[in-house]
Amino acid sequence: MGKTRSRSQRKGDRGTMLLLPTWLVLGGLLLLPLLILLGTSFHPPDDVGNPQAISNWSQFFHSGDWAHNYVQSVRPIYLRVAWRSLWLAAITTGLCLLIGYPVSFYIALIAPQRRKNLLLALAVIPFWTSFLIRISAWRIILQDRGALNALLLHLHLIYEPLRLMDTPLAVLIGLVYGELPFMILPVYASLEKLDRTLLEASSDLGASGRGTFWRVVWPLSMPGVAAGCVLVFIPGIGQFIVSDLLGGSRTMLLGNLVQNQYTSGRDKPLGAAIALELTAAVLAMLIAYAIAAKRRGMEVAL
Amino acid sequence: MKRVFALLCLMGLMLTTGCAKKSELRIYTWTDYLPQEVIDGFHQRTGITVTVDTYDSNETLMAKLASGVAAYDLVVPSDYIIQPLIRQKLIVPLDKSRLTNLPNLDPAFLNQRFDPGNGYSIPYLWGTTGLAYDKKKITTPVDSWDVLFDPQWTGKILMLNDPRECFAVALKRMGKSINETDPAVLHQAADMLKKQHALVRAYNSEDYDKTLASGDVLIAHGWNGQLAKVVSQNPDQFAYVLPKEGGTIWMDNVCIPTAANNADAAYLFMNYILEPEQAAKIVNGVSYASANSAAKKFISPKILNDPNIYPAADKLKGWEFLDDIGPTSRLVDDLWTEIKSQ
Amino acid sequence: MKHRWLLIHSLGVYVFLYGPILLLAALSFNRSPIGATWTGLTFNWYAKLFSDADIIDAAQRSLLIAAGATAVASVLGTAAALALSRPGTRGRGPTAGLLYLPIIVPEIVTGCALLTFFSVWRWELSLWTVGLAHISFSVSYVAIVVRARLAGIDRTLEDAAQDLGASPRAAFWRVTFPMILPGVVAGALLVFTVSIDDYVITSFVAGPASTTLPLRIASMVKTGLTPEVNAVSTLLLGLTMILVLVAQRLLRGPGEGSHI
Repeated sequence: MGKTRSRSQRKGDRGTMLLLPTWLVLGGLLLLPLLILLGTSFHPPDDVGNPQAISNWSQFFHSGDWAHNYVQSVRPIYLRVAWRSLWLAAITTGLCLLIGYPVSFYIALIAPQRRKNLLLALAVIPFWTSFLIRISAWRIILQDRGALNALLLHLHLIYEPLRLMDTPLAVLIGLVYGELPFMILPVYASLEKLDRTLLEASSDLGASGRGTFWRVVWPLSMPGVAAGCVLVFIPGIGQFIVSDLLGGSRTMLLGNLVQNQYTSGRDKPLGAAIALELTAAVLAMLIAYAIAAKRRGMEVAL
Repeated sequence: MKRVFALLCLMGLMLTTGCAKKSELRIYTWTDYLPQEVIDGFHQRTGITVTVDTYDSNETLMAKLASGVAAYDLVVPSDYIIQPLIRQKLIVPLDKSRLTNLPNLDPAFLNQRFDPGNGYSIPYLWGTTGLAYDKKKITTPVDSWDVLFDPQWTGKILMLNDPRECFAVALKRMGKSINETDPAVLHQAADMLKKQHALVRAYNSEDYDKTLASGDVLIAHGWNGQLAKVVSQNPDQFAYVLPKEGGTIWMDNVCIPTAANNADAAYLFMNYILEPEQAAKIVNGVSYASANSAAKKFISPKILNDPNIYPAADKLKGWEFLDDIGPTSRLVDDLWTEIKSQ
Repeated sequence: MKHRWLLIHSLGVYVFLYGPILLLAALSFNRSPIGATWTGLTFNWYAKLFSDADIIDAAQRSLLIAAGATAVASVLGTAAALALSRPGTRGRGPTAGLLYLPIIVPEIVTGCALLTFFSVWRWELSLWTVGLAHISFSVSYVAIVVRARLAGIDRTLEDAAQDLGASPRAAFWRVTFPMILPGVVAGALLVFTVSIDDYVITSFVAGPASTTLPLRIASMVKTGLTPEVNAVSTLLLGLTMILVLVAQRLLRGPGEGSHI
């Protein structure tokens, strides 16, 4: 004889029930594996790299052995790899901002209304196609006997093929290429919401075009810019395909490092530790972004 | 509706328990290492469906086998991986009574250090790790690993993307064994490789032959089969060299994983490729040397007489097999990370 | 005046984005197997594709997995989106977090985690493990898309239907569902493309006889680009782009310019 539930309460109950299958599946396929990965990261590796079973648990805890992989993961050589990944991701983000912002600006504020959707769709579609295939296409372009060199030679702009493949430049090109849509979309979303009357008001008050931009448009587009930077930076630090396919495998990035521990390094627990630290770093950045955004009253545009 | 559902569940259950399909053989081997006609021939003879998945490094093979959940029936590990696989019970001892064609193998290749008595593996193909270079651009004849470290060829050098192989080169230049475990020596070798890093255009274990052939590099460190193909297609321009300091001989072997679902089919296949005609087809197809001496009469003379594929025995003095170096491989891997983090 | 520069810059960026794709497509019809100079039109490479058993098998597997993962993910994702949009549902915060997990966690970490997971449970690697892995990251996409769609429609209509005597189930299926259907289909199409193209996670959890198309393409790319790769890549790119365009159309609700 409990009180009857109101319609909205019943709706809420049904809602909770709807969540159950999702929690089952995602919890089982995402959370659980991550937790298991966390568990393996505390074990020492065996001969072939698998986590080794612990025979003496109390000794394991007391001696501090359990933290061994995490202690290992911050050795200078690994920190150097992490630093390089961060640096590369940062440069990629900067370049994406430089190249992408004007495009978003154009679509949002200058392009005719009827074209906007098409232009935006065109900018975003490449994101959905296979990253691997698009990066491989760059190999055809950048090789010594590739399309770009062939074109430049044909136009007599150069007399010897430029070495573009297997360079840091090629890696940057690949990274920017892959991540550009991640910047264009959020920045567009921000700019699109801009109140046009503010722009008019600004020029009415005597500001130049450039002044209006830096004083009015840029600050108001900050949420989009921030979101774009976050969306570009995060996949950037976990990258490893681009440095192999376009960079001649000359550089080891965090992604390569993790993958390495699963193969020639024969140390899956260490790989797990580094992988989880990478995830934690990403999470921390996102939380910091969310807090900063909330504090400024910006919408968290993710 | 309920019946359909039950049927689907049953099907799902069957598939997930990986019930041994007695008519299926799952092979996991190196890319481009098993000609299609050999596979088709086996299928025609036995009716067994063969699926072939490929890997490009021993370490990938090890990782998959070590996961314990990759149910391949036949794998092709290289020499130095076999001991760890045995220790971790990832491959099974072979019942040699089922391999009636075993006598076709050249005894000189049997009973190696990495698998005494061939308890777990049968030799498949073997070769050398040397270098090939562009004779037209590099006019002084090359006979040493030094050319890979010569600043004159900056940006025109390619090395295998393989820590053990690169260290082997450095260690041989130092007059040491490729299975050196002394940390001090390994650090010295790493220093040499670190200095080389700036000269190397790319580290590549897959299409080093094509990179050389296209002219992107002038010197390529690589395995002899693919490089020998490039040389034989263009003998005026390219040459393959076994440097005088010595280097790596390697041997790939066929093994049966512990997780195999269909060991019977595996044995049938192993015996099949030990037949002289089949072994010869493999050699003719991938242009690496076989340990099968009975096959020689079916191997194309062009390959049999190619000193890059079948080198004379005296050329191989000072050439060693890679051994498993146990815990030292972690040091090697760390040094490799350092080299690549510059 | 500055608008002209913006226009030129934007055009340049579009050339940058589509250049490689178009080049790949063009080369797939190129007679010459190497280099990037045009030597003549041919359909040979496409013909070779259709007689290449490995690629056909890989393509079939990819399509099978994508279809399965899409079906499951669409149902789960839509359910999650509906639940999240109801104010009374408990656990909305954590669920949103759970749904964002695949987007936050780098692919390589997810790959390692899933491989370890299957290892620990001694679950044999096969098309099923690949399928499950694909479901794990697909649900989020559908949920996000449908949720965006839900935000744009009038939820009180469902209440109105119930006021008029419809049962909650009828109210949902007759009123709300048709309104979100374009979103669900769009989400499904997008998830389909993500699944067919997935490389990193699949490479970790693929087992015997579960080489998918991206894995096959990757190994072909690594052993040197033959034009066959260009052909199959072009086909895959084309398929993806068509599906995404359709999804975009579906999401463009009446009047709004909604975008993914």
